[in-house]
Amino acid sequence: MRMFLLLLVLFSVSSYGEFSDNLRWSLDASVRLNKDIAANNTSRIYALGLDTHKIFSFASGDIGYAVGQLYFTKLSNQMPFSSLFNSPDDEQFVIREAHFNYTASPKWWPNIRIGHFTLPFGLEESIDTNGRLLDYYHGKNLGTKLDWGLGLNKVMSPIEYNISYTLGGKDQPKSIDGSYVFSGRIGSLSHYDFIIGLSFLAAKIDNIQRKRFAIDWQYYWQTWGFLGELALGKEDEFQQEWQKEKYCLLELNNTLINEQLKLYGQYIFNDREGEHQNHQLINIGVSYQMDAKLELSISSRKQLSTPESGKKQNLVRFQLRYRY
Amino acid sequence: MKIVIVLILFVFSLQNAYAEAYCSLRDPVAQIKKLYPQKTNQLSIVKTVDTHTRNQVKLALPSNDLHFSELGQHTLYVAMKNTQALGYIHVRSEQSKWGLVEIIWALDKNLRIIDFSFQRCRSPKRKMIDNESFKSVFIGKNYEELKILLSSDGITAKSILLEKAGNAPELASVVLRCALKTLLITDVLWGEELKKFNP
Repeated sequence: MRMFLLLLVLFSVSSYGEFSDNLRWSLDASVRLNKDIAANNTSRIYALGLDTHKIFSFASGDIGYAVGQLYFTKLSNQMPFSSLFNSPDDEQFVIREAHFNYTASPKWWPNIRIGHFTLPFGLEESIDTNGRLLDYYHGKNLGTKLDWGLGLNKVMSPIEYNISYTLGGKDQPKSIDGSYVFSGRIGSLSHYDFIIGLSFLAAKIDNIQRKRFAIDWQYYWQTWGFLGELALGKEDEFQQEWQKEKYCLLELNNTLINEQLKLYGQYIFNDREGEHQNHQLINIGVSYQMDAKLELSISSRKQLSTPESGKKQNLVRFQLRYRY
Repeated sequence: MKIVIVLILFVFSLQNAYAEAYCSLRDPVAQIKKLYPQKTNQLSIVKTVDTHTRNQVKLALPSNDLHFSELGQHTLYVAMKNTQALGYIHVRSEQSKWGLVEIIWALDKNLRIIDFSFQRCRSPKRKMIDNESFKSVFIGKNYEELKILLSSDGITAKSILLEKAGNAPELASVVLRCALKTLLITDVLWGEELKKFNP
């Protein structure tokens, strides 16, 4: 954390122009209502944050950019709640992304990222879901969505890659009980209509070891998109024995031509060795961007397979988000 | 709680709306390299496209408007070869019946078009952009010279351009409107600052 702040100060002092040059910031406020029909529970999540992006430059060009996102988040009757919180009604200041990416490396040398960032893996690498109901289950599959550490990345002519080594402390910039995450993705350029990527992960977070290999793809045809992520791996909880795991996500989406209305349907399959049956979910969502500031979204998630508890997941969520 | 109130008051005095979180911003590095293969770096200049800019577009190009995603803060890239500016890169979106078409424009220091390519175009006729005869209509032209190619309805391109577009007349008009808005907005918002690269 100190290293990250020191780097920002150093680049601010030596960079070209005023600090306010090339600085973006927005207030990001959202209210999320969750209705868990199976558990007969209603909860709310309130978030108010500052989202910033600053490009640092010399007269000869850009040195790099920093992203900083600090959110005050309040839970209300949220069950289950994230490990960032201490109770179903807790409130915390949460750092989402906070990193600096040095981009002035010569020709073939990679960019260097330091800070708290999203793990490079699968679909989330090119589709950002922070603050949205749309989810590619990054945190659930990998143990965390964001982590503190160091990464190398570059966009080259036919491919782009992103590899990182992080500490596995999730919101804390330290390794806890030997935690670490080594992950990466290499893929075709993310602005094409057909994108394909390969990812890997080797991690130990919260004393759970995970290994994953994944292939992800996105295919866009006119206003339609067909996306998928297929992961194979194994997991070892509390150093007992490795259990094989298969995971698959398929998504079909459609965006209206004015880009205001987006609809998506997802099918998620998860099969884990040692469990009596696999898990299957469907997730349907709609988001409506009223203008550049206001977005309404709703999603419904239903479990197809019956879990051991007998209660199938049935969750409806609504979110109002305003960026100013 | 006081911190939250101070944050609200402070940020509400600004107008920096952008629909998606800033962590999703990505520079079109590969395309800049393709349009300026000799560049060693790029220099970003961020400016705000606001309602004032939008009104200027409506005034200069009647029947035209800016899509909401075109408002907010946008980056113009100066392609650099060491300390020398080679030209500019500006990415603009234009609505079409296949969703937003994003075009990367390479401009010279006199704001004339050097080259362009699609960053995102989901039209089945997008290969039209590889047609040198179509592209040559745009290359070397500035805002005034391209505006002559727009019909009196302010939306459709004139036949001199459509003849080069083969079976993609609608996409040709989209490209023309995008070119005009790009050149106009570059001049209105970045023009003053870019003078230092073209003394």
